[in-house]
Amino acid sequence: MAQYGWLLDSKRCIECRACETACKQWNNVATGVNVRYRQVNVREAGQFPSVSTTALSLACNHCENGWCQKVCPVHAIARRSDGIVLIDASKCIGCQMCVKFCPYQVPKYNSLVNKVEKCTMCADRIDQNLQPACATMCPTGALQWGDWSQLQSQGSGQVATFTDPRYTTPHIRFITDGWPAR
Amino acid sequence: MSITRRDLFHLAGAGAGLAAGKKLSGFTDYFAPAAAASGSVNTLITACGICSPSCGIQATVQDGAIRFLQGLPGDQSGRGKLCGKGASGAQFAYDPDRLKYPMKRTNPLKGLDVDPGWMRISWQEALDTIAANLKGALDTSGPESLLFVTGGAPDIWARFMNSIGVVNRIDHLDECFLSDRIVQKYTTGGKSWCNDFANSKYILLFGWDILAKSKLTYSQGIVDARDNGAKIVVFNPQYSATAKFADEWYPIKPGTDLAVALAMINVIVSESLFNLDFVTNYTNFNDYAPAIQTHFAQYTPEWAEQQSEVPAAAIRRIAREFATRGPGIVPAHKKTLCANYQNGTQLVHAISILNILAGTIDRPGGRYFARSVSIPGVDAVYPPPAYPPKIGRRVDGKDKLPFVLEDGSGLFSTLSDGMLKQYPGMIKACFINAYTALGFPSPQRVFDALATVPFVAVMDTLPTDTVSYADIVLPSATYLESNDLVTRDYKALFPQVVVRQALIPAMFETKSIGYVALELGKRLAPGYFKDSNGDFINLSTLLDEKTRRAGLGTTFDDFRQKGIYSKDQAFVPRTTFSVPGTTKCQIYVPQFTKGAEPLPSWRPKRDLPDVNYPYYFLTFIPAVHRRNSTENNPYLHEIFPANAAMLNTALAAKLKVKEGQSVRITSRAGSIVLPAHLTETLRPDAVMVAHGFGHRSRMLSLAGGLGARDGDIIPDQSAGDMVNALNYGGAACIMDAVVKIEAV
Repeated sequence: MAQYGWLLDSKRCIECRACETACKQWNNVATGVNVRYRQVNVREAGQFPSVSTTALSLACNHCENGWCQKVCPVHAIARRSDGIVLIDASKCIGCQMCVKFCPYQVPKYNSLVNKVEKCTMCADRIDQNLQPACATMCPTGALQWGDWSQLQSQGSGQVATFTDPRYTTPHIRFITDGWPAR
Repeated sequence: MSITRRDLFHLAGAGAGLAAGKKLSGFTDYFAPAAAASGSVNTLITACGICSPSCGIQATVQDGAIRFLQGLPGDQSGRGKLCGKGASGAQFAYDPDRLKYPMKRTNPLKGLDVDPGWMRISWQEALDTIAANLKGALDTSGPESLLFVTGGAPDIWARFMNSIGVVNRIDHLDECFLSDRIVQKYTTGGKSWCNDFANSKYILLFGWDILAKSKLTYSQGIVDARDNGAKIVVFNPQYSATAKFADEWYPIKPGTDLAVALAMINVIVSESLFNLDFVTNYTNFNDYAPAIQTHFAQYTPEWAEQQSEVPAAAIRRIAREFATRGPGIVPAHKKTLCANYQNGTQLVHAISILNILAGTIDRPGGRYFARSVSIPGVDAVYPPPAYPPKIGRRVDGKDKLPFVLEDGSGLFSTLSDGMLKQYPGMIKACFINAYTALGFPSPQRVFDALATVPFVAVMDTLPTDTVSYADIVLPSATYLESNDLVTRDYKALFPQVVVRQALIPAMFETKSIGYVALELGKRLAPGYFKDSNGDFINLSTLLDEKTRRAGLGTTFDDFRQKGIYSKDQAFVPRTTFSVPGTTKCQIYVPQFTKGAEPLPSWRPKRDLPDVNYPYYFLTFIPAVHRRNSTENNPYLHEIFPANAAMLNTALAAKLKVKEGQSVRITSRAGSIVLPAHLTETLRPDAVMVAHGFGHRSRMLSLAGGLGARDGDIIPDQSAGDMVNALNYGGAACIMDAVVKIEAV
């Protein structure tokens, strides 16, 4: 069975946040309660004037060994056969153990409904042979989605400030090369 | 027990949750009738209306509600994609804060924190009241007593203003591309929005931070350029989102871009590095060669280094590379995108000269003219009787600036001076459409000026601060509830039109400005709003007729179903240019001998740092916002809710300011307080603040009360100031303020 994942090419990111608002609108995510399935983080490095920035569009990495799944006391979190990790809202009791244990701060507590929510990789779109909303909208190819067998050999499994992937085996790769100098 | 940052975050989240909970139920309530009605899924094509490239949209409308907006395949503008703003579009239509019905004020006292006592009225009463007040002012004080703060579109709205002889139409273009439009008219033959980045090999950006503004069609071009091996050089006091794409970034001293551009012309001219074929055959260089050579000889790279802190060796090398490693391009656009300093007109002239010397005007890899489709306007479809002459004093003083007057735009930055000092009491009635005073320099002065006007009508989608000063409020439909034909003006290598169609019926009692134009026209100047049979113009018939005459379809409905029209046409570079009085591009502009200058000269920015105000004040527009109109959108608010005072860590250390600590920024115009945000991306002699925040309206439930107005720091000006500074292109001097910064 397939396994899907993300590929980030930070140098192509124009920081327009289309991935974020595409996610919000497709998944009809609540607003005003800090529930954001996907977020672009822009990090600075260096000292003026030798400064650089890196933009990373991050959501759930749909880990093979997700701690969210291990700590959930009511077994509300499960991995589908295609590797997509989903929270069953009918089982979730809003205890937020997964929020505390996810090394990537992915699950978000929705106080309006007392449930935890997160990126579903747009499983409903994938089931209709569509790409996730975020990757569909990305205007420059900075955020790509695809079959893990195609992605896993590209770029690097880790970037600065990203938790060591050996803990949970996340399905995300990073292209860390910058633009070639001219 | 100590409260950690995390606790605070949770507390804040819980508070916000209660507010949003209420809102969501209201949201669901007004969805319900639509859901019951249809029970279907439609895919419709339309055009985005948030910013001007108007990217094509493929919309999923489910059960009568907008479900999902994505890019339209085949569209040149967005190339099948939308930006973060575009993808959040449905939230504008479904904003519970929207103005829903016409209203009139019952409390005569006007002020930002005064309850107007709104009372719902009918459209009939609202239009009758507005018409009566406009007529009253016209009859007693003439056309000069009317002030229209509005863009010129749509065409029927322009027709209405023309039909009653409006002379005082004000728009924000002085903060935007006005100076570039004036310069391009006389140098290359008209404002071009199109930059062929994909085929360019060398891109020079003077403060042009298009990525931060997220105009997708340009952003994609910059990424294409890097993919295709172009070199990009950025001059900007801040390491911007665009600078990330640069090979070389120079944190230039604010307001000195002109010096670097002049020195680059110096190098290219003195070393004869220009595109000889283009310059010889398509420009007036040879007619004025000695004057041009002599003029630019004074602007050596060494001189420019003194002004700008960009090393002379770098200026010389970059100028040589730009001229010889082309096709090269220097885009110019607006506000933060082409530094809007007092010397901005001279800068865009210098930029235009660089493009001409590179020989890339209307050439692959250069700035080119849109291959457009001619869509007839209302005056072509229904020729009007002769309009009354435009008689009266110009409240913004643009009659003192002949090139601004000729352009037809108005000036934001001189309006309050005109209303309060030059012509106090002249304006008797005012109509404001889709503008808030937040967009002006020194907005409080604009409110003070508005308070002197006996009658104010405001049309908008949201209850902005400006609405607080209205006597009558008209609720506007959003672009997602409107019909139109939209050409591609920002990327048009071949002619293309995308439909704009209502995805949902206009909500509540909202209407378009076109409707208001027609209804006020019927009341005040009926002769101008009739067809050849003597019947009143019908807006649907007008749109059908435009569609038919443009060759897009038999009717608007016919084209609506197709959605997009593309003409298969090869790109043939122009060999003649539509410059006044000539068919060649002008480096030396003889028309600028009077009231301007035929070649751009160095002059400093308006205010320079001194003992009292030692730091530069810079503004920008965040990628997820459009000017001051999107801060209440729930998705965009969540990403960028408020502004901060961005400070270099070294400056913050000097000022003893920590991250998040409040600082007071003070200029000669005013003062604001904002939390500090420390960064390494900005020069240590500057503070940078996002535009668009500091809404005070209590009826904006998300944006109201958050952040501070950058405009409070920016001094407005008089038309005389512009004349004295040889600011003949009418630049609003948005980036010219200098400030002191104190921890509070």
